[in-house]
Amino acid sequence: MKNTIKVERAIQNITQQELAEKIGVSRQTINAIESNKYVPSTVLALKMARLFGKHVEEFFVLEEGD
Amino acid sequence: MKSSLLLPRRYKIIGILLFIPSLVLGLFYRFRDFSFDFLTLNQSFKQRLGDKTINVDEQINLTDEFALTGLIVGLLFIAFARQKQEDEFIHHTRLKSWQWAVLVNYGLLLIATWLVHGMSFIDVMVYNMLTVLIIFIVRFHIILLRNKNAES
Repeated sequence: MKNTIKVERAIQNITQQELAEKIGVSRQTINAIESNKYVPSTVLALKMARLFGKHVEEFFVLEEGD
Repeated sequence: MKSSLLLPRRYKIIGILLFIPSLVLGLFYRFRDFSFDFLTLNQSFKQRLGDKTINVDEQINLTDEFALTGLIVGLLFIAFARQKQEDEFIHHTRLKSWQWAVLVNYGLLLIATWLVHGMSFIDVMVYNMLTVLIIFIVRFHIILLRNKNAES
């Protein structure tokens, strides 16, 4: 699975730290998600969706083999 | 993320403050035959030997008991102290690190089983009491540090 959270952050013009604070996690978590090292829980994905004003599928995309 | 098995964050410092002196004490006990005299207990008891009863006087020194207790409790405190922000990724990293630590620990133990023989194996068993905790702590913090320093 890949994601475009970095792009969404750029659109919102917020840093990793700011995004982390808004959804109540550490900056490390955002970093791990953006670098595809960690797949967030559904709860976290939905919090991001609410913040970005988009559906989850718009910034989390399944890849071949998933 | 709620994780009830964790200690408050300050226990990390308490753990370190407990671990270091205990380590020094343990190493001195093991390699310099050091022990505190005031921790020596005298035990007297009667033991039956065949049809005779003999008086046995025995001395036990509790220095190593204190050292090992300090080491184990200190490492447990460090391992189970909450991170500044204990979220789901930290939780995930914690579990993965435990799994990794158990595997590596038993891998090392298997290697040592075949390489270390005789009385020296006692040493292996002594170190092995602490290695799971040590490997976990090192692994967990390396992952967190690597992730912290990664390009954002």
